[in-house]
Amino acid sequence: MKNWLGCMVLAGGLVATAGAQVVVTKGAGQKTGLDLSAFQASPTAGAALFRKTLEADLVRSGWFSLTPAGRGELVVQGQCAESGGSINAGIYVLHATTRQSYLGKNYPAPVADARRLAHRAADDIIFAVTGRKGLNSGRLVVVGNRTKKKELYLCDADGGGLVQLTQDRSISLAPRWSPDGKTIVYTSYLRGFPDVYSIDVGSGSRRVVASFPGLNTGGAVSPGGREMALILSRTGNPELFVKGGGGLTKLTATTQAAEASPAWSPDGSRIVYVSDQAGTPQLYMISRSGGRAQRLTSRGSENVAPDWGANGWIAFSSKLGGRYQICIMNPDTQEIRQLTADGTDYEDPAWAPDGRHIACARTAGYRSSIYLVDTMGDPPIPLLDASGDWFSPSWAP
Amino acid sequence: MQMRGWVVVAVAGLLVVSSGCKKRPKPGQAGVDNVGGVVGSDLYGEGADMLGDRFAGGEEVRGQFTAVYFDYDSSQIKDSERSKIDAVASHLQSAGTANLVVEGNADERGSNEYNLALGERRALAIRAYLVGLGIDGNRITTKSLGEEQPVVMGHDEESWSQNRRGEFVLIQ
Repeated sequence: MKNWLGCMVLAGGLVATAGAQVVVTKGAGQKTGLDLSAFQASPTAGAALFRKTLEADLVRSGWFSLTPAGRGELVVQGQCAESGGSINAGIYVLHATTRQSYLGKNYPAPVADARRLAHRAADDIIFAVTGRKGLNSGRLVVVGNRTKKKELYLCDADGGGLVQLTQDRSISLAPRWSPDGKTIVYTSYLRGFPDVYSIDVGSGSRRVVASFPGLNTGGAVSPGGREMALILSRTGNPELFVKGGGGLTKLTATTQAAEASPAWSPDGSRIVYVSDQAGTPQLYMISRSGGRAQRLTSRGSENVAPDWGANGWIAFSSKLGGRYQICIMNPDTQEIRQLTADGTDYEDPAWAPDGRHIACARTAGYRSSIYLVDTMGDPPIPLLDASGDWFSPSWAP
Repeated sequence: MQMRGWVVVAVAGLLVVSSGCKKRPKPGQAGVDNVGGVVGSDLYGEGADMLGDRFAGGEEVRGQFTAVYFDYDSSQIKDSERSKIDAVASHLQSAGTANLVVEGNADERGSNEYNLALGERRALAIRAYLVGLGIDGNRITTKSLGEEQPVVMGHDEESWSQNRRGEFVLIQ
């Protein structure tokens, strides 16, 4: 699967590239050899952490393989020094034979920010070499149960920097970042019933978004930031609504079915969601202004938890052979690619900001952790595997 | 504590929004002959069955009634479960002022968010059945817990069958 999937991804333009950049382009499954041996870090904790993080980030990006000294197509030179509570990294990226320079930049920061600094440097290298946005500076919100209650947590793209965002001692579910990256919309039982809240990540302040009788969930802010998709049962049955412009508009009227999990198209004109109107939960697509819904999936006994990426592809979880697997679909051609296939369950996919990777919840042996799945054929790797169970990732934009 | 302000505002806003558009279900719309699912309705259509407001207070009594069980991925009320709901209806008819929260639950399998909607449909199906037995719909509110509150922690059909359920909480 690895090769043709990669071909499809590159040919289909799944990962956007910068315009007039001279980039290193590789085919399916091929990686650029990167020689990091000339990059020196002083033997101090902060500098060593910077180097270790940078190396891991470059490998995680999927674009590079590390080579022995003198064997790489690209060479990273420079050093990371530490003094007086600060680190300073000078990074130079060159082509090994042509000596073409891709990047030459200084990265200063307090020692405490060594990891974040390395994430930024790694994404700069990735962009300079491939013309593509990296995922390492990205941030996720996830649901965790390590306190015995489901709360929201934030972490970095490598699972580091884990912090607890809510302390509600209730049930917090279904978090999704707003497009401005400042707030997270989620479902909580703070007042005893499932309501939709918005939490300001900077200040921690919250407001109620939807608190109607019955079920309030599925809050997803539109790409333009002015509207929100919601699942509400206030009219007697769970239905898909859009809130905004001074009112609520009901988009579905399936009185014998349940709707769930809305996600917006990148241009905000359409919404993909789950409905069981045909007997099992499947993906449907509807115009933001309503009208007739189009069924998107039929393969698999269940197709759920869609996330519509900026690259135009919908990631979702498909029940195939009794297990949930991550698939992606081009909604216009309805072309589907299956990305996972081992004997575990992969659910709740969320596109990473690099447009290449997907974070999801992987359950094995009744334990759930966050994994990173690659659309170009690299095997899934753990992203957040701290104690407790982890669910429902969403990447900051 | 800092939330108290907006909670009051939100509740006040809700009362404004939902009073006035509340409508009683028509007799015969739901009942013992029509338990195939929820009697939902179109917001803009005839006979809109808007849910009543949540209850402001009262003492919660849990465990007085037997849980109602459902088949996998179904919100149909089974014949075997009807007498349990009949008992709740009898109580509500005799306890004229008590209100009821119907809690809908799902087993652990499947999408977390879909299970929230499925749990709500189970609670709404029980509510529709009670309304069909003559109970005022404004005395019954629904609450879906999705797969979040299993009563049995196992990972087999024996456990799942006990987690796919509706529960009753009296508010008196």
